[in-house]
Amino acid sequence: MKAASFAYGRPNSMSDALALLADADGEIRIMAGGQSLGPMLNLRLVQPPRIVDIAGLAELRSVERDGEALVIGACVTHADIEDGRIPDVTQGVLPRIARGIAYRAVRNRGTIGGSLGHADPAADWVTTLAALGASVQLTSSAGRRDLAVTEFIQGALQTALRPGELVTAIRLPSLSPAARFGYAKACRKPGEFAHAMAAVLIEPDTARSRIVIGAIDTTPIVIDDSSLFGGAITEFRQSFDRDLADRLLMQAGVTDPAARHIHVSVLARAIAEAAP
Amino acid sequence: MKLQLTVNGTTTEATVEPRTHLADVLRDQLDLTGTHLGCEHGVCGACTLLLDGAPARSCITLAVACDGAAVTTIEGLDEDEIAAELRTAFAREHALQCGYCTPGMIMSARDLVLRLDRPDEQAIRVGLSGNLCRCTGYVGIVRAVRAVIEARRQRGIAAVVGAGRTTLGPVGSQPGAIATATSSALPPVTEMKLSRGVALGTLDPPTAVPAKSFDASFTVNAAPEHVFALFGNVETLAACFPGATITAMPAPDHIEGEIRVAIGPLSAVFRGSARIDRNAADLSGRLIGTGRDQRSRTSTSGQISWRMLPIDQGRATRVALTIGYSLSGPLAQIARDGLVRDLASRITTTFAQNCDRHLNGTTSSAETPEPQRLNALALLLDVARQRLTGLARRMRGP
Repeated sequence: MKAASFAYGRPNSMSDALALLADADGEIRIMAGGQSLGPMLNLRLVQPPRIVDIAGLAELRSVERDGEALVIGACVTHADIEDGRIPDVTQGVLPRIARGIAYRAVRNRGTIGGSLGHADPAADWVTTLAALGASVQLTSSAGRRDLAVTEFIQGALQTALRPGELVTAIRLPSLSPAARFGYAKACRKPGEFAHAMAAVLIEPDTARSRIVIGAIDTTPIVIDDSSLFGGAITEFRQSFDRDLADRLLMQAGVTDPAARHIHVSVLARAIAEAAP
Repeated sequence: MKLQLTVNGTTTEATVEPRTHLADVLRDQLDLTGTHLGCEHGVCGACTLLLDGAPARSCITLAVACDGAAVTTIEGLDEDEIAAELRTAFAREHALQCGYCTPGMIMSARDLVLRLDRPDEQAIRVGLSGNLCRCTGYVGIVRAVRAVIEARRQRGIAAVVGAGRTTLGPVGSQPGAIATATSSALPPVTEMKLSRGVALGTLDPPTAVPAKSFDASFTVNAAPEHVFALFGNVETLAACFPGATITAMPAPDHIEGEIRVAIGPLSAVFRGSARIDRNAADLSGRLIGTGRDQRSRTSTSGQISWRMLPIDQGRATRVALTIGYSLSGPLAQIARDGLVRDLASRITTTFAQNCDRHLNGTTSSAETPEPQRLNALALLLDVARQRLTGLARRMRGP
């Protein structure tokens, strides 16, 4: 239960960090708050030869407005969001989700960027930010690119991050006051990894909905049309097509009927919350 | 590496390996054994202490990451007003028995007293859910915390959102104050060298029925016979298979080699041997192999069977695969089918693309394509979260 040896670097600036990542000749792990990587190191599930600690980088511990959107530095913690130390453009959605992540002692160090970079399918941010239409800012010494969260997450613990790249920020569009959001997850105990998770965003003014089913062993299921409601976005609660949700889960590899039942029930709860 | 900490108000220097977690420095070097270690992977909460005034897990926080930080351990709360009130309440309500969880429990409880205005029992229970107690059943603990909060609110002491923290970012990780912790030499690579004397080639791959099995398929734009022939050319097959390298071929149907897998931050190199059986009559075959990852001490055996089925009047082929695997060793304790399937399907996709490319000549150097280091293949591995969850569950009992 002690980590194996590794070399450790704690760059003083973003440019130093990117240079370190660019020069890495071999395996290198990026660590922010270390609340996912730390346990894996202790269990020796990962034994990286070197770790770059980005948690102290001031550039990543900040937020800025970009028009209507909010750009959240990768090293902003769940507790920062929970406590409202950053502005909220989501009508309270973000603080609420943050409050439900793991435990306070973990939220004080765990970061939003680290959570996305780790890409655990059961992570609250993976599902929530996909539903909210957020994008990820990836920076390397060669430049910067932005990817939608749904493109960034490529599977269980798999992301589109290339060698030398760093998740530097999350760009979050503001949520219209008319938008409705529902969220539910199933955990055996509060703070435990979720066995099922769903986020539902309904935007009545634009007649759009986005539904994300997370905590499956692959990329989240994203349903951008209203097929789950028989093609119309009225009467969500009544017309929710449980069979279709069940089939989608089956296609995504959830073969256990009991697991699918939990997923569909959790989704129904999220829909019930969001339904007008 | 050298680091500086302010522990319970006293500035202290310590020299640690980067891998040392904060709790070990406090306990082993500074003799502050009040910080307890339970699970050592962030689940039980016994190691909870205050970093820059906010609770954090000291078992999953590297000491070097805390250079320049203020650390408060349970020993540092002797004179603390809230901690004193909690101690009294804990004693009164029988909120401890063996006491192992108590230092961490007090840390989390103190944080709730500071932050929660008028919590109901449920809110306190949720707030304490990251601290496991195996003795008390929590009733006394919850009662004690609630009593302290109610008494303080009655005395007009209000809760403070975020306990007054104003800066952003992980607690304990100080921006700027990191002069002493910039780098260290890469430690000697300690990866075990595979002893050739082990003679993996002599190991006969097992023919036992794999513990787990599932089907996969892909299509290739080439006739079934061509695809079957490709599957008979071991070097080409390995070149198409992400992460695979052949190190020796003692016989035409016998391979020794390795498969590199990386799932997110996890990586492993399974070295071993495999045998290929082919049946030209029905264009089928199978590969039976066995391998071992030295680092995780996990062994696997597996079997991939294939059948070439003509589609599109024989111009293309559907390759029907049955993939079976067994795992034994540390990683096997937590194997979960879904993740393996997901990764296998990604590997299959890349493998299919590589086969297609090879057969249709879209690569110029088709003879020796570089083995792709795909970030995948979990025919053999399973993942940390499941392991963590599994361990946590085992720790908590059924």
